[in-house]
Amino acid sequence: MIATTLITYTQAIVLGLLQGVTELFPISSLGHSVILPSLLGWNIHQNDQYFLTFLVATHLATAIVLLIFFWRDWVRIVKGLGRSLRDRAIARDDFDAKLGWLLVVGTIPAGILGLALESALRKVFASPTSASVFLMLNGVLLAGAEVLRRRAPVTADEDDVRIARTVSWLDSACVGAAQALALIPGFSRSGAAMGGGLVVGLSHKDAARFAFLLATPIIGAAALLKLPELFGPTGNGVRGQALAGALAAAFAASVSVRFLMRYFETRTLIPFAVYSFVAGLACVIYFVT
Amino acid sequence: MLPPVRNDRLLVILAIVVGVVLIVVGIVYWVEPAKSLPGFFPGHQAGSGHHHVKHGIAAFLLGVACLVFAWFRSGPSRTPAA
Repeated sequence: MIATTLITYTQAIVLGLLQGVTELFPISSLGHSVILPSLLGWNIHQNDQYFLTFLVATHLATAIVLLIFFWRDWVRIVKGLGRSLRDRAIARDDFDAKLGWLLVVGTIPAGILGLALESALRKVFASPTSASVFLMLNGVLLAGAEVLRRRAPVTADEDDVRIARTVSWLDSACVGAAQALALIPGFSRSGAAMGGGLVVGLSHKDAARFAFLLATPIIGAAALLKLPELFGPTGNGVRGQALAGALAAAFAASVSVRFLMRYFETRTLIPFAVYSFVAGLACVIYFVT
Repeated sequence: MLPPVRNDRLLVILAIVVGVVLIVVGIVYWVEPAKSLPGFFPGHQAGSGHHHVKHGIAAFLLGVACLVFAWFRSGPSRTPAA
C-alpha cells in the first residue's frame, strides 16, 4: 500500500524509458536508476524492495524486446546448438552452433558472478555519489577499449560468421565475465561487453551485436528469477506502475536497439565515453557540494 | 592390474562425476533450508530457514555445463570450428 505513494505512474514511465535506453546504450542503466531519482529529488532508493520489484518488470520488457529483435538469429542459433548436441561436435562450417556455444560460454561466468555478487554489490554501492564515480570510470573503460581495440579484419562474411570466426572460447568467457562489472551501479553491461568485443578483434557493429545477444539470456534470466516477487506480496501496490514502466521500457529499448545497430555500423564508443565521464563528473560535483 | 586410462577418458569421467555432484548439490540447496545444509556448504547458517535458491541455480548450471563438456569430449569425432 505504501508503494503507491512512493512511485507514481509518471515516475514509472520516466524510469521505464530511462531503463529501456540505458540498458542498451553503454552508459549504465543501474547507475542512472540510482542517480536520476536523487537528481530529481524523488524518494526512490535503489535498495527499496518495491523499486527492485518494479525493475524486474522493466528488465523483463527489455529482454523480450531484444529477443524479438534478434528472433531469427536466436532460431538459427538454437538450431545450431541442437545440431551440435546431436552430432556431439561443432562442425567446421556450422557457425550458428559455434556462436551459440560462444554465447553459452560467455553467459556462464556472467551468470555465476551475478548470482554470487549481485545482492552484496548492490548494497555496498547504492549511493548516488559512488554511482557517479563509477559512471566516470565507465567512460574511462569505454575510451580504454577504443584505445586497446584490435583492428577488425574486413571480410564479406555475414555478421555471425565473422563473430564466430573471430571470438575464441576464452575471449567469450572473458567478455561474458566482464559483464559482471555492471553489477556495480555506474558501469554498463553492454559497454563492458562491447569494449571486450572490440579488444578481442570485433568491429563496432559485431561487438554491439555480440553484446546484445549475450545480454538477452542474462537480463531475461535475472528478471524471470525475480518475477515471483512481482506477483507476490512485495508486488502489492506497484504492479500497475510496473506494467506502465515495462511498456515504456519496451518502447525505449525497441527504438534504442534499432538506433544502436545502425549507429555502430560506422561509429565508435567515444561519444558514450565522453558522456559517461562528463555526466559522472558533474554528478559527483553536484552530490558532494 | 587395471588397464591404462587415456587422459581424454579420464577427463570425461571426471566431468561426469563433477557434473552429477554439482547437480545434486544444486538440488540440496533448493530443498534444504540454510540451517540443514552440511556445514561445509557455502551458505550454511545455523537457525536460518532461508533457502539458497541462487546457490542452487549456480551449482545446477555448472553441473549441466560439466555434463555438456563430457558429452562433446566423448563424441565420436571432434572437428573444431573455424
